[in-house]
Amino acid sequence: MALSLEISGLKKVYPSVAPDDNVQVFDRIDCIVEKGQFLTIVGPSGCGKTTLLRIIAGLEEVTSGEIRLDGERLNGCNEKVGMVFQEYALFPWRKLLPNIEVGLEIKGVPAKERRAEAMEYVRAFGLEGFENKYPKELSGGMKQRVAIARTLIANPQIVLMDEPFGSLDSQTRNTMQNFLLKIWTERKDTVLFVTHNVDEAVYLSDRIAVLSPRPTKILKVFDVNLDRPRDRTSREANRLRREILALLEHSEQYPCQ
Amino acid sequence: MKRLMTAAMLFTLVAMFGTDTWAQSSAPPVRMAYLQSDIHHLALWVALEKGFFKVNGADVEVKGVFKAGPEIMTAFAAGELDMAYVGEAPSTTAVANKAAKVVVVSQVNTEGSALVVAKKKTNIKNLTDLQGKTVAVPGHSTVQDFLLRRALRGSGMALEQVNIIVLKPPEMIGALRIGQVDAFIAWEPYPSKADTMSVGRNLATSKEMWPGHPCCVLVSDRGFLDRHPETVVAVVKSHVQATEYIHRNPEDAVKIGIKYTGMDEATVRQAVQNVTYTYELSLQGEKEYVQFLSELGYIRLDNPDGFVDQFINPDILKGILSQ
Amino acid sequence: MSWKRLLPPVVLLLVWQGLSASGVIPEYKLPSPVAVAAGLLDLIRTGMPPGHRLHVHIYYSVQRVLWGYALALLAAIPLGIFMGWSRTLRNLMEPLVEMIRPVPPLAWIPLAILWFGIGGKSAAFIIFLGAFFPILLNTVSGVRSIDPVLIEAARVLNAGRRFIFLKVLVPGSVPSILTGMRIGIGIGWMTLVAAEFTGVKQGYGLGYMIMTARDIQRSDEIIAGMMVIGLIGLGIDACLRLAEQHLVKWR
Repeated sequence: MALSLEISGLKKVYPSVAPDDNVQVFDRIDCIVEKGQFLTIVGPSGCGKTTLLRIIAGLEEVTSGEIRLDGERLNGCNEKVGMVFQEYALFPWRKLLPNIEVGLEIKGVPAKERRAEAMEYVRAFGLEGFENKYPKELSGGMKQRVAIARTLIANPQIVLMDEPFGSLDSQTRNTMQNFLLKIWTERKDTVLFVTHNVDEAVYLSDRIAVLSPRPTKILKVFDVNLDRPRDRTSREANRLRREILALLEHSEQYPCQ
Repeated sequence: MKRLMTAAMLFTLVAMFGTDTWAQSSAPPVRMAYLQSDIHHLALWVALEKGFFKVNGADVEVKGVFKAGPEIMTAFAAGELDMAYVGEAPSTTAVANKAAKVVVVSQVNTEGSALVVAKKKTNIKNLTDLQGKTVAVPGHSTVQDFLLRRALRGSGMALEQVNIIVLKPPEMIGALRIGQVDAFIAWEPYPSKADTMSVGRNLATSKEMWPGHPCCVLVSDRGFLDRHPETVVAVVKSHVQATEYIHRNPEDAVKIGIKYTGMDEATVRQAVQNVTYTYELSLQGEKEYVQFLSELGYIRLDNPDGFVDQFINPDILKGILSQ
Repeated sequence: MSWKRLLPPVVLLLVWQGLSASGVIPEYKLPSPVAVAAGLLDLIRTGMPPGHRLHVHIYYSVQRVLWGYALALLAAIPLGIFMGWSRTLRNLMEPLVEMIRPVPPLAWIPLAILWFGIGGKSAAFIIFLGAFFPILLNTVSGVRSIDPVLIEAARVLNAGRRFIFLKVLVPGSVPSILTGMRIGIGIGWMTLVAAEFTGVKQGYGLGYMIMTARDIQRSDEIIAGMMVIGLIGLGIDACLRLAEQHLVKWR
């Protein structure tokens, strides 16, 4: 079941030794992600895209502001929020299948059931034959598929993805994007996706939020009204891409401090 | 590169072990050793204090004070010593096992050790009561170890029935006091010290275990004797004089004993009473040593009597006494 | 293990035998390999002191090492994991650890005898001290070197402290723990022989055997004993390496 995510008035400050030298990451972030929506956040490096995701995941704290998931305030790690990391973060000592099972293991699901469900994901994600391989034996694309399976098997209500395809080569990247769209289309999760690749954002998302450099705020949110399956090279896609890139360039040239 | 390394290896081995053959021979100091606080070696201390060595033309230097006989024999094997006061058992074992090449040139004492038990343990009355108990000896194949085993055998006990452990004599009294060991056997003055400290009492003196048993001897490295016979004669002569001095001047001897053992007067006096200082050699005594050491399996000799003849050289002593 | 690796020791043995046989090295200073082999046979058949045979010495020594080592494992691994996990605990314990660690285990012998008496217990204590620190330090480092993102992944999946502890920290630090274990038993075994020099009540132990051989001036048996000790140490290390390879296949 997908829920809506509301972010309001988010501020994050990293305190430093000198009192007026604090690093203000977010000025004010307000954002709403609708149920079942695929929202991508793009922005320059260092603007805090990852920090935002980590805050929602419960890995970091906010200075002020609140995050609500379907009305309820989020505080700390929550099984309703799932996250896929850029570095995959698979447990290297577990084989593929037990890696996928982890979320269910934590919930206390008995072994037989866990295995059965995990096997479903193995089949759905094209990982047959590799159940007993260690992560070191898997390719980057496979590892990310396992990471995604691991996140989805726990049935989170919102899926955070932090540049999940950043370490892959462009061929694999395209394959994985299609793979992601395929599962998303079937499951209709709410997805909050972070990337610096505008092309990817245009290809995947329903909406794109563009962030400014620090202190970060949302410059503009674009609605991507292209029909799916999308054509990367269509005129509308190109136009949108140009617009976003221009916005990013402009904000980088004239950063407000 | 490989050849260079092999050559370096060979050179190192030869340099380490082959240098014996390159010793010089001029009139050298005599490198001497004795056992720590062993009142049996009183003659040496007297000779040093009274200058007998100098008078007889020997330049004696005390190279080492050791904790037990086997250590002295190892020092001989390493070429560190020329002569020493040492127990007959460890020297016999070392020579029989071809570790050191020494000859006995004079007796030093007979008797003078004791088997000590804790004063509080009144239930240990004789040797057989030691069954299952722990007894400390100064080392394997020391005179004391020898005496203990011989006495146990004589009482009809099997050696396995007693736990024999090795401790250095300075540690023995402390160990007895806290109950680490049930008994110890050591050279005087340690048994006397245990008595004056009220920690232990004699279960049996070595005199009771084997009357008249030879104990310590004066030995010389064989090579040293061959190269400097006159020096060895000088040392033995000094030893004979010192031994007679002990008999004639017991008070002064006790004073010297106090100085070299670092123990109190009462202890040293008592200790000296229990030792018989003599320079007379006993081939029969040595034969007993050889036989029992063989039975214990410490040594294996094809020709025991031949060994004894080789091991003891009575000629030097004879020469001095006939003068 | 290729045959080429055996070549240098074999050559050394031959050179040694040659030097001994030709008299360049006197027998009593360094017995020839043949004499050492004969000494080994004596140790096996007659024993040193006579009647105390080699296999019983080995049994007692191995037993002491295992006791000391087992205690070290039980103490160091849990403590190491907690110290790796908690900065507070680490800051608390580190000064103490760093003060005690440099003290050689053998320096503890007088205290050990005072506390545990002459015998197996004090030897085991000395071995415990030798093995404890490598195991502890490697465990701490193993926990600290776990990629933090793995812990975050577990937290995001809503894992509780117990799960993170047992199912992330422990498996993640196993490679380092095994390394620490291997180093620890190596040191423990080496310390054993010296620990047994202080005296063993039952009259058995490889260190005790060598001391007796020294007293009775049997250098052939001393060297044979040293070789036995070295071989056993090698065997233990090989076993642990095998276990490492098997348990850490995922590296």
